[in-house]
Amino acid sequence: MPQVARLHAILWGVFSMGGFIAAFLLPVLIYLVGIAYPLGLWPVSGTDPTTLILDHHHLGTLFLFVTVAGSLYHGIFRFQSTLTEIGLARAKRALEAIGYLIIIIGILATAVYLLQYNPSFFSLP
Amino acid sequence: MSKEKPFPEYRRKLGPGWWLSNRHFTQYMIREWTSFFVAVFSLIYIYELSLFASGAKADALNLLKSPGIIAFNVLALLFTSYHALTWFYLIGKIQPIKMGRTTSKPWQALLVNIVLLLIISYAVIEILVLR
Repeated sequence: MPQVARLHAILWGVFSMGGFIAAFLLPVLIYLVGIAYPLGLWPVSGTDPTTLILDHHHLGTLFLFVTVAGSLYHGIFRFQSTLTEIGLARAKRALEAIGYLIIIIGILATAVYLLQYNPSFFSLP
Repeated sequence: MSKEKPFPEYRRKLGPGWWLSNRHFTQYMIREWTSFFVAVFSLIYIYELSLFASGAKADALNLLKSPGIIAFNVLALLFTSYHALTWFYLIGKIQPIKMGRTTSKPWQALLVNIVLLLIISYAVIEILVLR
C-alpha cells in the first residue's frame, strides 16, 4: 500500500474512532457540564461536574481526555470536509491545514491543562 | 509515465445549495453539520479546562451559566444525539451481523446501541459524579 494511502487510511480510522467517542461519551459530558450544572438538574447538586470528574484522578482525567480529544478530532475532520461540499472545494488544502493545526493544538492543550490540574497523573494509584 | 488522463474529466458543477434539492441530501447535510457543534463544544470545553488549570475556576463556572452558552449547549446536545442515532443506524447498515440464516437489520443495531449509550451514560454519572 502506498505511504500516502496508508496515512489516509489511518486518519480515517482515527476519525471513525472519534465518531464512536462523540456518539457514546460526548452526550453525557454536554448534559452534565453544559445543561445539568447551570440549570441545577439531576444528578448535579452543588459542586460542578468537572471538579467531581477530575477528583476521580486517573479515571476522570482519562475520561475527559479521551472524550474531548476524540470529539475534537472527529468534529474538525468532518467539518472541514463539509465546508468543501458547500462551495469551498477550491480551498480544500488550506482547510485541511487549518483543521489539522486546530486538532493538534487542541489535543496538546487538553493534555497540558489536564496534567496541570492533576500533575501526579502518571504516578501509580 | 505521463500523469495526463487519456480523456477529459467532466464534473457536474454544484452550487452551495445543492443539498436542498433532495430530502436525502438535506438529511445528509444536517448530519454533516452536527460536526460543527461537536467541534465547537470541544473547543469551548478546552477553554474551560484552561481556566480550571490556571486556577480561574469561578470564571469557568460563570461562563457555563451564561444564557448564550446554555442555549448553545442545548443545541449541541440535540445535534450530538442526532449524530449518535444516525451513527448507530449506519453501523447496522455497513456491518450487518449474520446469525445462522438471518442477518441483523440496521434498526436492530440502532436499538442495541441506544441501550449501550444509556448504560455508558449512567455508568459515567454513577462512577464519576455520584460516587
